[in-house]
Amino acid sequence: MAETAQARFASVEAFLRHAALLKTSPEATQRRVLVCLGTGCMASGAREVAAALERALAALPAERRVALNLCMKKTGCHGFCEKGPLVVLWPEATFYKGVKPKDVPELVERGIVGGEVIERLLYVDPKTGKPVEKYGAIDFYARQTRIAMRNIGLMDPANLDDYLLRDGYQALAKVLAGWSPEQVLKEIEQAKLRGRGGGGFDAGRKWRSCKSAKGTPRYLICNGDEGDPGAFMDRSLMEGDPHGVIEGMAIAAFALETREGTIYVRQEYPLAVEHLERAIADARARGLLGERILGTDFSFDIQIARGGGAFVCGESSALMRSVEGKVGEPRAKYVHATDKGLWDKPTVLNNVETFVNVPRIVEKGAAWYASIGTARSKGTKAFALTGKVKNTGLVEVEMGTSLREIIFGAGGGMLVDGPKGAFKAVQTGGPSGGCLPESLLDLPVDFDSLTDAGSMMGSGGMIVMDHSTCMVDVARYFLSFLTDESCGKCVPCREGLYQMYRILSRIAEGQGTEADLAKIEDLSQAVAVGSLCALGKSGPTPVLSTLRYFRHEYEAHIKEKRCPAGVCKALITYSIDTSACDGCGACLAACASDAITGTPKKGETFQINTLQCDKCGACAAVCKRGAVAIS
Amino acid sequence: MSEVNLGDAPFTMTIDGKRVEARPGEMVLAAAKRAGIAIPTLCEHKAVESFGSCRLCMVEVTKAAWKGWKGLMTACLYPAAPDLIIETQSERVLHVRRNVLDLLLARCPDSTLIQRLAAEHGVQQTSFSVREQPDLCILCGLCVRICESAATSAISTVKRGHHREIGTPWGGPPPACIGCLACAHVCPTGHITFEEHGATRAIWGRSFELQRCAECGAPLPITVEQASFLVERQALDASYFSRCESCQRRATAQTFGRLARWQKLGLTQEPDARQEGGKR
Amino acid sequence: MSAQSQPQFPPVDLAATEAILARYAAEPKHLISVLQDLQLHYRYLPREALERVGAALGVPLAKVYGVATFYKAFSLTPRGEKILRVCTGTACHIRGAPLILSELQSRLKIAAGETTPDLRFSLEAVNCVGACALAPVVMENDTAHGNLSVTKVRRLVRSGAAGSRGRGSAELPRPDDSPAKKAEESEES
Ligand SMILES: Cc1cc2nc3c(=O)[nH]c(=O)nc-3n(C[C@H](O)[C@H](O)[C@H](O)COP(=O)(O)O)c2cc1C
Ligand code: SF4
Ligand code: FES
Ligand code: FES
Repeated sequence: MAETAQARFASVEAFLRHAALLKTSPEATQRRVLVCLGTGCMASGAREVAAALERALAALPAERRVALNLCMKKTGCHGFCEKGPLVVLWPEATFYKGVKPKDVPELVERGIVGGEVIERLLYVDPKTGKPVEKYGAIDFYARQTRIAMRNIGLMDPANLDDYLLRDGYQALAKVLAGWSPEQVLKEIEQAKLRGRGGGGFDAGRKWRSCKSAKGTPRYLICNGDEGDPGAFMDRSLMEGDPHGVIEGMAIAAFALETREGTIYVRQEYPLAVEHLERAIADARARGLLGERILGTDFSFDIQIARGGGAFVCGESSALMRSVEGKVGEPRAKYVHATDKGLWDKPTVLNNVETFVNVPRIVEKGAAWYASIGTARSKGTKAFALTGKVKNTGLVEVEMGTSLREIIFGAGGGMLVDGPKGAFKAVQTGGPSGGCLPESLLDLPVDFDSLTDAGSMMGSGGMIVMDHSTCMVDVARYFLSFLTDESCGKCVPCREGLYQMYRILSRIAEGQGTEADLAKIEDLSQAVAVGSLCALGKSGPTPVLSTLRYFRHEYEAHIKEKRCPAGVCKALITYSIDTSACDGCGACLAACASDAITGTPKKGETFQINTLQCDKCGACAAVCKRGAVAIS
Repeated sequence: MSEVNLGDAPFTMTIDGKRVEARPGEMVLAAAKRAGIAIPTLCEHKAVESFGSCRLCMVEVTKAAWKGWKGLMTACLYPAAPDLIIETQSERVLHVRRNVLDLLLARCPDSTLIQRLAAEHGVQQTSFSVREQPDLCILCGLCVRICESAATSAISTVKRGHHREIGTPWGGPPPACIGCLACAHVCPTGHITFEEHGATRAIWGRSFELQRCAECGAPLPITVEQASFLVERQALDASYFSRCESCQRRATAQTFGRLARWQKLGLTQEPDARQEGGKR
Repeated sequence: MSAQSQPQFPPVDLAATEAILARYAAEPKHLISVLQDLQLHYRYLPREALERVGAALGVPLAKVYGVATFYKAFSLTPRGEKILRVCTGTACHIRGAPLILSELQSRLKIAAGETTPDLRFSLEAVNCVGACALAPVVMENDTAHGNLSVTKVRRLVRSGAAGSRGRGSAELPRPDDSPAKKAEESEES
């Protein structure tokens, strides 16, 4: 499978011939052991599992191996990170979760060679308590519609032929075989594809205005900055399907008649850089990128720019400054980037997920795409479902799916039982978005409904919160994030968000007044209209949305000096419930402030010295008997 | 910033109910200024490109075709266009302005400029928490921009977000500084200070020798580094700053005196003043 | 940064700077890429190197400094051999990141953004590292550790303090009163 060593495709026909041949090759019919090497699974030890599997498979007698017609694939993120490391047997689609290196011998002997199902490694449906064997039967996957993430987890992202086996570059070939750039533009316009990076801007319209702008060269940029905390869809796309990103960009470049593309990748994503670089090199070697692609007149190449760790660089004009090697300061948008963007030339910038949708639209047609989703939001959207839900991970659903369906369907419901664990809010849109309450759970999720509800689609982070999360703390958290991440250029954002942070801190410390709430609302308005870029303009949203839906929590902090969730340090005290305490001493070891005293051996009970206690919560976190009380 | 292609002919727009003439390529702020309509600004200066950071110049913009939609735009960066309808004193405009000034007052409570502007907008005292150890810097960025466009980019903005500041490399004396004082002169609040004693000038923790008059030896208002910068990088002739003002004046007077004498004598040809000066 | 935790600046070998510069065309647009490579090599951006880079790429030193202080990826003081990045992204925040951070701060006796005097550890609070499903998360250099608890964090510190995997850790003397060691001791007591 030394695909890089293979020759360039001299023409579209040559490419199509090869792709057709591949499908009838032995490789296409091989049984696959898919091992997820996404970041999540890797953190749970997937690398060791993969190594053990490799060894175990290699140790099989040669004739067995041949008879089994087996190959192992290290794939991108399956999306169900929480249950990692994941191993999937394909095509039978047996799904094993939480696989440890010590499970590997049994997995190989019984599971792979013996064809048995190893029950103890199966996913257990929390509702029925029964193990589920097949990938597609697991609620988490069954409730998804995967268009953007169609390939992730099912192939080796570092292997071009694997991508070809999944119909990769077919769309590009189709376009190059006879479409005009105008035809591509029209197709994207008709598909009503909206940008997945947050704003939901019509992609076709953006491309069109760039194309009609004066000036050349034109530039194409893929925004892989993914700065919203709690979002990792783009990461998994870049890591798990890099060719999908490249193909989408190539088609866009063809429509825009541009030769130069840049992918701006977040600094924290080294694996994404590695996979993209590899994929670009492979695509170049096979004539799918670079000069005269597939022997046609179309030439296009991509370079990678690594971000420097700045959230604001996800903003389009700041990103372009960063690509130019400067500090990421946004510019006023009175002149659009499609007229004057990178190096002051007409530029199209789209999100990773936006590009990944493009090949599918070309392949299956605009009408097909436009038939999915809601009236004004077409297609699907990938979400990173995290927080206090049972199934955390990546979920791609049709636009218009309700929050409830996502959280309680695919997400499997709330993580913790009991009243504390009940649903309180879901945060969407990251620092630009808001927190939505239970009463909005049936909201169909699309660009406009979320905005109307006072939140935002954002790039797709969806963080579920239960009653142990304090809304004042969440709002304050976002403001502290933004005061750090704002570029600091303009007054309302730099000074205004900071003052909002000061006010919220006061409230969290029990020093707030009712006048503070009025003040913060008034200031929010000024920041929202006065700031230069969308970071500042949407910066007040987390505060405004929590004020709108959870005002009572603010009031509890102000009037009763109480934090209902038991989070805000100044308003809580820790104590040990001596009736529940069994004197194990875990808290004693956990406390970094030496605030816990008492020697149970001598018949004393543990006590928390409230003066010494810095309320870090370490004792409560380690206590197995729940004997540490927060009041 | 960019020119919007509207041809070359002037056109009209409405500002605060008044018909105002504007030229293609200019910004709303410039057109308003010419028409005598005052819009407060802090980060704008004719010597540098507009930046849009203070947000004080925001105005409310609409067009008949926009079906009632109005946007708040910075006048310093918003290109003038035919048929714009602009309000510089609407409630929304004033609300942003008041907040901006209130915020700046919390940042720079001792700045008389901010105090005055704030008072003009009814803000006598900041309603926010005053910054600890405040200075006079409002971070308008004029100094950095003028240093970049007219001098050597010796200073820059440092860090980001709420920690942003104007600074020099590693906080020390900036190696590229030529002591030209452009930053200090452009600073609207007097945050950037300098000192001059005899033939030395001190700014940004550096000390500069002043250029001396080639004739009388008096210090000129220009540093040695600045003079060589102007010669080497801006390709100016060294003779522009070889003499002090009074020597220069005397030299000019002498030239004119000679010229007058020559003319009186009925000679039409001008003597070569430069050569004469050079001989001395 | 507190004075006592201010690490010593090791002498700078500029040959590496030249080698890095040689990878790129001498154009201002490569500034950030060059700085990234420098950061990787030196674990911080030495002044001497930045002066050289500014001259080579034609970027005024003040601008280089501005960029170096704007982006979080860069540090102007040497970072530790093990960089512990505590994710303080939203998903991690609500699943207990503040506790993890305070635990690490008290174990390592440094604040976020600081480096231990022996240059063994740097502690950073970062935004989402993209492994939110495993919140709370700490990155140890390029390795993610998920579903962390106070106990797991302690193990992390201890394994790092033993210096078994760290690059070049063998040459570094291990002072007996290193915070890591102390943490270890206090745990055993
Ligand atoms: C502060 C800020 C951060 C942003 N971060 C991202 C990001 O990480 N990824 C992204 O694709 N778009 C981000 N955006 C949106 C981009 O500015 C831009 O609208 C988008 O990338 C355009 O692509 P799309 O039309 O395909 O969505 C951000 C915007 C702002 C204001
Ligand atoms: S709104 Fe914030 S991030 Fe945007 S330009 Fe202003 S200061 Fe910078
Ligand atoms: S003068 Fe326009 S924003 Fe400052
Ligand atoms: S929020 Fe911590 S990894 Fe995303």
